[in-house]
Amino acid sequence: MLVMKNINKIFQTADIQTHALRDFCLQVNEGDFVSVTGPSGSGKTTFLNIAGLLETYSNGEFLLDGEDVGKLNDNGRSRMRNQKIGFIFQGFNLIPDLNLYDNVDVPLRYRGFNGKERKRRIEENLERVGLASRMKHLPSQLSGGQQQRVAIARALATDPRFLLADEPTGNLDSEMAQSVMSLLEDINQQGTTIIMVTHDAQLAQRAKRTIQVKDGRVSELAIVTPHLNQAIA
Amino acid sequence: MFSYYLRLAWISILRHWGLSLLMVCAIGLGIGAAMTTVTVNYLMSADPIPEKSQQLYYVQLDSWDVNDPFDDGLNPPDQLTFTDSSNLMRAKKAFRQNVQAQAFGVIEPNDPEMLPLIVNGRANSADFFPMFNVPFIYGSGWSNESDESKEFVVVLSKETNDKLFGGENSVGKAIKLEGNMFRVVGVIDTWQPKPRFYDISTGAFNDSEDIFVPFHLIADEKISRSGNTNCWKPSGDGFKAFLASECIWTQFWVELKTEQDKADYQQFLNAYVQEQKQFGRFQRPLDNRLSNVMQWLESQEVVADDAQMMMAMSFMFLIVCLLNTVGLLLAKFLGKAPEIGLRQALGASKSTLFSQYIIESACIGILGGVLGLILAYLGLKGVEGLYGDYMKGLASLDANMAIFAVLLALISTILAGLYPTWRACNIQPAQQLKNQ
Amino acid sequence: MLETGLILRALARNKVGALLIALQIALTMTIMVNAIFMIQDRQQQMQRDSGLDEANTFYLTNTVFAQDYNIQAHLQTDLHTIRNTPGVIDAVQINAIPLSSSGWSMALQHESGEDKDAIGSAIYMVDEHAINSMGLELIAGSNFSQADIELRKDGQSTWPAKTIITKAFAENLYPDDWQSAIGKTVYISQTQPMQIIGVIKALQAPWNGWDGVERSMLVPFQRESKGSYYFIRTEAGRRDELMPIIEKVLAESDKQRIIRRVTTVEDTRLRSYRQHNATNKILSTVIITLTLITGFGIVGLAIFSINRRTKQIGTRRALGATKGQIMRYFMMENFIISAFGNMIGCLGAVALNMWLVHTFSLSPISFELIAFGVVTLFIVGQLAVLYPARKAAMIAPATATRTM
Repeated sequence: MLVMKNINKIFQTADIQTHALRDFCLQVNEGDFVSVTGPSGSGKTTFLNIAGLLETYSNGEFLLDGEDVGKLNDNGRSRMRNQKIGFIFQGFNLIPDLNLYDNVDVPLRYRGFNGKERKRRIEENLERVGLASRMKHLPSQLSGGQQQRVAIARALATDPRFLLADEPTGNLDSEMAQSVMSLLEDINQQGTTIIMVTHDAQLAQRAKRTIQVKDGRVSELAIVTPHLNQAIA
Repeated sequence: MFSYYLRLAWISILRHWGLSLLMVCAIGLGIGAAMTTVTVNYLMSADPIPEKSQQLYYVQLDSWDVNDPFDDGLNPPDQLTFTDSSNLMRAKKAFRQNVQAQAFGVIEPNDPEMLPLIVNGRANSADFFPMFNVPFIYGSGWSNESDESKEFVVVLSKETNDKLFGGENSVGKAIKLEGNMFRVVGVIDTWQPKPRFYDISTGAFNDSEDIFVPFHLIADEKISRSGNTNCWKPSGDGFKAFLASECIWTQFWVELKTEQDKADYQQFLNAYVQEQKQFGRFQRPLDNRLSNVMQWLESQEVVADDAQMMMAMSFMFLIVCLLNTVGLLLAKFLGKAPEIGLRQALGASKSTLFSQYIIESACIGILGGVLGLILAYLGLKGVEGLYGDYMKGLASLDANMAIFAVLLALISTILAGLYPTWRACNIQPAQQLKNQ
Repeated sequence: MLETGLILRALARNKVGALLIALQIALTMTIMVNAIFMIQDRQQQMQRDSGLDEANTFYLTNTVFAQDYNIQAHLQTDLHTIRNTPGVIDAVQINAIPLSSSGWSMALQHESGEDKDAIGSAIYMVDEHAINSMGLELIAGSNFSQADIELRKDGQSTWPAKTIITKAFAENLYPDDWQSAIGKTVYISQTQPMQIIGVIKALQAPWNGWDGVERSMLVPFQRESKGSYYFIRTEAGRRDELMPIIEKVLAESDKQRIIRRVTTVEDTRLRSYRQHNATNKILSTVIITLTLITGFGIVGLAIFSINRRTKQIGTRRALGATKGQIMRYFMMENFIISAFGNMIGCLGAVALNMWLVHTFSLSPISFELIAFGVVTLFIVGQLAVLYPARKAAMIAPATATRTM
């Protein structure tokens, strides 16, 4: 469970204060699939960065899985990211020098699993995204959609509680976007909580729950009915 | 287009000024080090008398011990016995010939107030002066007739003339040297061949002498000889016995105009040695050599080991600096992949990109070359300061060296830039633009 | 956590960059090790004991120019004057000065005859005051007595009956037991017998580059020559004060000769090894600049490669890497490159040394020196990459969500 209470994020430059998030409150339950939309500059990326422990917040209260994030130091946040959160980025962010196998291996190395365990997880997750046969390929040899699938495999390899997706289909054409979206829905079905930032209203509709960020505040739009969600799946 | 590339290069150099500075410094240091050592080697191995170094020959005869060769048998002895040089002198088979040895003496100035002067001298034949193109301010060398009639004549260096006669024309005046009166026949202008090729046995980079006197004065014990003496067989008592001994301490030069003259002289030397064998001398196999100036300097290894070693090291140093530059240029050019992609999309061909980046490399090379020149100048000053007299006159940059330095910097940087440029030109535009 | 495999695979895709650094390290190593070796070699030469009491000795040249001059009488007066100057311990006439680069040499042989093997040695012609005047240490046998001293005229070819040699020379002549040299007869000038009556601990020859520089012999001669040296030893600390005094006394006592080149032995040593010192300073400068260039090269390339990988590093951070892990990645990467460079460097160092041994007859390099070079370059590499690696660790994880 993710709980944010009155989170504020203020960027301080020389003499200008920018309020990226204002008294931001949000609760995301286990198994939820939340899409976050909003115009650019609304603060949705800041929200995602804070939710993903990539950035610290100025004040407020943030509990992730019952743990007070504000009390963690840098190493603690690294550990938490590694164990509980999986990321999917708009630009895929695969490491170009490493092949698919090694790319999925990266977070597992930081987790400290032994070789056998890592191998099992890498193969299992590449299988899951349908790329098991291309393990030795470099990212540059794949299409955008395939690269994003690898990124998803990498995100899932550590069995995270939360999957944070930042415009996961932003760099993909609609066909590939559809398949990545379906994959995310599958994953959600299997119990992983997903928070997805997007500006595509249609994609946002496919989440169980949609929230809109405006001027650093939340405004809940609608709760997608389960049956509709299932119908699409 | 060229000026456009130059401007682009300049913008790029300034934009990554830290990296550019690092490259310029690396090239500058490499060039500076290389130029410093190259200059020293270049001056050490310079031809000291280019106008006739092909016509002057140093004579070597193998008069050494039959059981124990000189220089492990690699070279015949580096000097001649008095007997042999006197015989060769008398034979007069060359266009010009000169026998010489180092000498020293004390001059008692005419002015009783002045302290006596110890001078380094050279005892030589009349031909020494025309043979080695010695420049005169006043008068000239003495004549062969003066040698034959054993006159007491002397040639002064400019410095000695300044000391004794305040720089005035002293030709015809007398000086008291070792208790004897000598007539001044000439005053030499500043003359400092580097290396001092005519006698390297006492140091190839020593100063030239204060006075020059006829060689026969040594045999007549009117002046003391100095320099190196090497004997393989004991000589008897007294100076006469020494002169007749197998000790080597004289040097013999001949001037031969043509290859034919040289061949003839070689034949003459061999015949002379064959003749001497009849008296029980020259028991070693025939090994008589005629070496022209550069051959002689080379065989005597005038260029110091240290100087060669340093030059080898400094070139490796330059290579390290260039590898450094290749790495940094590569990093820099590949870092510009998006820009290169964009330029290609906007119509830049591979060859225009190539020109652009090669010109940028060349700019860095020229900057490095200029810095290298400054460093080489300082480096040579430092070398001169550290080595003192030994390097005097061997540590100065001339125009040739300056041009060489900048060219070396330019060429090596362009070479260093080739690979990075090639990589930069082969960047795929589509990929770069997609990832923007 | 071991990332070596991952780093290796990443490096393999960026061979050229890594290879360039490795080659730089290799060449630096090659040059550094050999330059240090040459420095050490020179330093060892400079540290050899001259045998003299260097701090308290000086010498001067005495050049007679007058004709009809009683050299012998003046010599005795001069020596008497100098020896009786307060503060002077002793003085001696000598024909050559150790390390001054000009002197005499002769060879000694065990048997008399023309084609017998002989060993060369520097010749110092002195009287019985030499040991005391030069600060030598007699370690076996005895000194000359006054009666042993002969007068030598210029051009004389006969030699005295006694000699004192250095220990190094005795060891060369009698490799089994240098002490057995005492009382032995050797031959000088091929046929003239000479008895070794004493052995001194050390006395260097005039030529520092000669491989027999430790071989010297004292010969009991006073020379009747127009040019000679006086070698003088003073009480501790009084050398500099006595030098001008003695010069003045001698110069004024007799105007028919020139007293010149009043020089301390310390200055002679400095001049003798000036080239050595100069070369060593230049070599040290080379080593330092080279190491700096390589160091800065590593810094420059690392910063650039880190800048290029900002997003990647941000992603790694987002995926849970701690700052320490990021730092370790780059340190490890440098370590691997250094290891590779050092490997080539060892080969290069040995190859260059072989060339130097061959061309300039230096001696072969020691293993310790190569080990030192390896360790130094590892440290330089790690230090150089420290700052870029810290910079990399500071990259914010949020970089991963930024579109670039």
